[in-house]
This record gives sequence, C-alpha cells and structure tokens, in this order.
Amino acid sequence: MNLDIHDKKIPIIKIRDFLIVSIQVDMHDKLAVQLQSQILHEIERTGAKGVLIDISVLEMVDSFIGRMLSGMASMAAIMDAAVVIVGMQPAVAITLVELGLEMPGVDTALDMEKGMEMLEKKLREKES
Amino acid sequence: MQEIISDKNWNKLGIYPIVDEHDIVKVRSIVRQHAKDFRMGIVEQTRITTAISELLRNMYNYANGGDVVIESGDIEEHNALIITCIDKGPGIENVELAMSDGYTSGMGMGYGLPGAKRLVDKFEIYSEPQKGTTVRIMKWK
Amino acid sequence: MENNLDFKNAKERIEHIEDVLSSVAAGDLDKRLQTDIEDDLTGIEEAINILIEDLTYELKQSKKMKEELEDKLNKIQEQQKTIVQQQEDLLELSSPVTKVWDNVLILPVIGTLDSQRTQIMMENLLQKIVETGCTIAILDITGVPTVDTQVANHLLKTVTAARLLGADCIISGISPAIAQTIVHLGIDLSSIKTKATLQDAMLFAMKKNNQLFEGKIHLEHKEQEEDDK
Repeated sequence: MNLDIHDKKIPIIKIRDFLIVSIQVDMHDKLAVQLQSQILHEIERTGAKGVLIDISVLEMVDSFIGRMLSGMASMAAIMDAAVVIVGMQPAVAITLVELGLEMPGVDTALDMEKGMEMLEKKLREKES
Repeated sequence: MQEIISDKNWNKLGIYPIVDEHDIVKVRSIVRQHAKDFRMGIVEQTRITTAISELLRNMYNYANGGDVVIESGDIEEHNALIITCIDKGPGIENVELAMSDGYTSGMGMGYGLPGAKRLVDKFEIYSEPQKGTTVRIMKWK
Repeated sequence: MENNLDFKNAKERIEHIEDVLSSVAAGDLDKRLQTDIEDDLTGIEEAINILIEDLTYELKQSKKMKEELEDKLNKIQEQQKTIVQQQEDLLELSSPVTKVWDNVLILPVIGTLDSQRTQIMMENLLQKIVETGCTIAILDITGVPTVDTQVANHLLKTVTAARLLGADCIISGISPAIAQTIVHLGIDLSSIKTKATLQDAMLFAMKKNNQLFEGKIHLEHKEQEEDDK
C-alpha cells in the first residue's frame, strides 16, 4: 500500500465485543479502500461481533465512499459481525439518496449510544 | 453533443490540475468554499461538492487526471457557479450509455455521471474518442 | 415696387435661427432667439421660442414621470422581495415538525407536495431528527389531496434519507382514494411502514418505543444479574 497515506491511518478501537471507528478526515478513495480491509482484518484478529462507524464529521459521502461503506457491511456480515453507520449528516443523507445510493441493508443510528444499543440488541437476538 | 466553450463574460475564479488523489481532496474543499461564498445552503454545498467528487474520480481513474476550471457567470438569469473538468483521456465511446443509470465501464462506477447530473442545476458533456472529455456542471442558489 | 418683406440683417438672423435650432437638437434648451426687431421674421422667431419653451416643459414633465416610474418600480421590486420571502416563510411554516412523545416526531403534511416543498420539508424533518435524537417520525398525509408518482417519489426520498440517519418513518393518513391511486399507478411503497390513520401510527410508534425501552430494561436487568454474581 502507498506510503504517503500510511501516516493517515484511521484508528480502530475495540471496546468489549465491538470495534469503534471514527472517521475524522476527508476521505479519498485509497484511504477508503485501506480502511475497509483494515476493519475486516481487525474483525478477524479480535473476533469482534459488531462494528460502529462514526461518520458524523464527514461533510460528503460520494458514490465510492458510499459503496465502500455498504460493501463493508456485507463483508462484515459474512464474517458474522454487524456494522452500524452512525451520525450521518442530513445534507449527506439527502445527497446520497439523490445520487441513487440508498444503501439498503445497511444499519444506521443517530449517535454512538443508539448504535451501541442496536448492536447489543442484534447480538441478543442472535444468541436467543 | 456540442463542444464546450467558456463565455468571455464569465469570471474566472481558478484553475487546478488533478494529478493525484490529494488534488481531488483539495479541489473538493475549494469547490465547497466557493459554494459557501455563493451563499448556498449546506445541502446545496454538499450536492455540488459530491458532484465534483464524482467527476474528479472519473477524470483520475480513466484519463490520468486533467484540469478543473472554476468560474462564475450568468446562466439562465442566475448567478451560477460553473465548474468545468477537462481531460485528454480516451474519451467516452457512447455518451448516452454512460449517462444512463447503473452503467459501469468496469471500475464499479455506474453512479458517477448520471448521479452528478442529478445533483446540479445544469450539466453539459462533450467527449471525443481518443481526444478526451469535457464535463461542465453549473449550480445556482 | 417696395419689398413688403423688410428684413434687417436677414442673413445673419437666419444663421442665428439655425444656430439655436441645432443647439436645441443637441439638447441645449437655454438658448432663445432675440425678438426685439419687429418684422415678418419675428413671428417665426417667436414661434420657435414658444416651441423651445414647450419642449423644455415636456422634457421636465417626462423626466419627472420617469423618476416617479422608477420609484414605483423600486417599490414593486421591494414588495416582490417581501412576497418571495413570505412565500418561503410560509413554506417553512407549512411543514412544522413537532416532538409529540418521547422519541416520536410528527410532521403533518398539508396541501400539494411539489419538489420545492418536499425539499424544505425533508431538510426540516432531518434537521429535527438530528436535533431531538428521535428515532421515529410520523409523516401524516391526511391533508394531501392527491398522491401521484412524483409525490410518492418525494415521500420515498424523505423516508430513505431519514433511514440513512438512523430514524424510521411511518406514513399515516392514507385514505382509500389514495390507496387506490397508489396501487393503480404501480407505486411500490412496500419498503415503507404505512398506516391508515394518525392514531394507528401513534399506537405503532408507542409500541415500537416500548420495545426499545423494554430492550434497555432487559439489558440493564441482565447486567445487574451479572453484577450480583
């Protein structure tokens, strides 16, 4: 992978069974691709059952990043981990819908707390 | 399809070359700043920034980069932000097909051009195989 | 035979007339012809002077009128601005979003839904969802006279955008007539939760709320049990 983006690696934090990713930088495509495989590797390494991706700082999600996020959710699902996208800005949501990316099948939550509740509920449903 | 030329009366705000991905990030934020200067609302700002992101990606992936010209001028009696993306890439064989929803030429696009068109007020495209593609988007408040 | 036309300095005076006339033509209305000599040319000279006076007066009048018109135009433009502003205000007013219950927002939609209104409505609703943290929103369309393909698409767009934020929308107030049109037009609303009346939607929202709430209690309970161990 390219060296110049290595220093910009997005941190992934593990809390209990979950991974928390907070995207704080304006994403470009390589960074998005890198983040996707980074998260998948962390799921494998830690055995996490859920991933929260906070995008509240992102001012723009275009088709590439949108597809990366929904692809991320499907890939994690195959690895038995649920993904919740958290904190999308209203303007971003409107633009995504107009762009034609409705991200079906991707779980979303208003904030981290609600996202966490959602993941816990999902886990409980899976266990029972 | 008509060739895209600039109007003499338009005000040139800047010209930026797109060479690598960082240029895309940079130009995106420049476009957002111009949209703010045009007093566009947050949704409008996001629309034009997203549209330009789609166009710049096409330019970077298919044509090895190109130039972006940002202008302001009167379009249909509106003071519009006019952004033109010019590349000297392989061009688009079938523009009509490329403009239809869901079409992809292999790199998993399919939203780029038609998506960008939906996000702006006016959209023009001119492409010649082997010579390159010019796309112009216009947005007003 | 005596010449009945007795002109003194006739050539000079005619030249003067030409002079004054060309000044007038150039827009200088201050010059007048001298009429102190009494002869047949005097009548012409006086007539020219009167014409110049008339012209001056007319010009003044038209200038005044032009100013008045410009004034009026400015006023009209001013009024137009106010009207546009009021229309915008009205649009915002016509889509009030209220929090009616814990976690539940209601947006009553009244009147025809065009793209501009949907735009404002959608932005208002999404903003309110983010501000209040409510995860259930009811769009009540009892007050919408007809639902065509365009209106349905606008509603779908709003619901989808809200879902991307993490909120669920329920559309209520679907009358038999609207249900018929929707099916006849082949519009697919199966991805959206729809209810016949606002009351049904409220009950559904509360039930959903309870589920969320119970889920939380259940969880806290479980944690406490674990703590007890």
